[in-house]
Amino acid sequence: MLDPTLPQMFAAALAIVLLGGAWHKLRDMEGFVAAVEQYRLLPAALTAPAAWLLLAVELAAGVLLLPLATRAGGAWLALALLALVTTAVAINLRRGRRDIDCGCGGPEGGPHLSWGLVLRNGVLGAAALLAVAAPAPRELVWLDRLTVLAGALALWGLYAAANQLMANQPRLLRLRNRTP
Amino acid sequence: MTDALVISNVVLWVVVLALLVAVFALARQIGILYERVAPMGALMIDSGPAVGDPAPRLELPTLDGGRLAVGAAGLHSQLLFFVSPTCPVCKKLLPIVKSIAAAEAGWLRVVFASDGEAQAHVAMRRRAALEAFPYVLSSELGMAFRVGKLPYAVLLDEAGRVRAKGLVNSREQLESLFTAKELNVASVQDYVAGQGVGR
Repeated sequence: MLDPTLPQMFAAALAIVLLGGAWHKLRDMEGFVAAVEQYRLLPAALTAPAAWLLLAVELAAGVLLLPLATRAGGAWLALALLALVTTAVAINLRRGRRDIDCGCGGPEGGPHLSWGLVLRNGVLGAAALLAVAAPAPRELVWLDRLTVLAGALALWGLYAAANQLMANQPRLLRLRNRTP
Repeated sequence: MTDALVISNVVLWVVVLALLVAVFALARQIGILYERVAPMGALMIDSGPAVGDPAPRLELPTLDGGRLAVGAAGLHSQLLFFVSPTCPVCKKLLPIVKSIAAAEAGWLRVVFASDGEAQAHVAMRRRAALEAFPYVLSSELGMAFRVGKLPYAVLLDEAGRVRAKGLVNSREQLESLFTAKELNVASVQDYVAGQGVGR
């Protein structure tokens, strides 16, 4: 049995991550469509509709996670989306195609494909599972609001920092392999 | 006692969030540093044949199975546009290059260049409707101009000399190559620097 603040915290953090990701994709839809194409899993005609569908699901999952009534639906939707995109990443890693943009970063291009990305999505999936965990009954006080809000923001900050470090990784490798 | 714990909890949350902002900012700055000191970028522009030098003359195989002379003296200037099917920015620039090729057809011939397996290039060429342009597949050409990052463009004049070159990410940067040729400077940056010295 989890303390009731924890599922709320994970749900809120996951919602921020999903909505932030959807916002980035919406701002550079052309880039996201190109990234989806790079995965080379779909026929060319389906690339753009698939990109829009992924965006719509991400947005819906983020919105549904916020109210208590629809949280479970949002969490399962998020989990399904994560499983789908992580499979796509894993397939391309098995093909040895690491040099493509993951399509999951900001406007300056996100991290490239790596097993780190698979791990990151696994952690997000665990957050989705924790969001639907049954909370132990306890009366909530005002301090719990702070715990949920600050905790969610802190988890989001950790996610953003991890993402940034993953995006730095190929740049560091390029620097290391440079012939003096 | 409870009051003390509540206050310490609030203070700790504030500190945790502030530290996370700092960690994220540091990670971002490190990324920018890596980008700045990397060998690609400004350094790359200075390698390969210099602006004003004659370009290496090469006879290269095209995607159609023919041969194309690059760097030879002729009636037209040549714009070598280095692309790859796996580069999203290249894809964005292809329609722009096509419109520029149509607008400057009087003096300029556009040549697309890349290397690797022909199959992916044939597919990209068909999708982007580039059949009207010669498309060269040769790692020799990319090596001759020390192309590191794509999309990269090299402008050769009628005599086969390099007139301008560089990494291009937008229509403006592509057009700056033509401006550089007209003003007879190596790059727009050189022109700005020259103006600064004259003042």
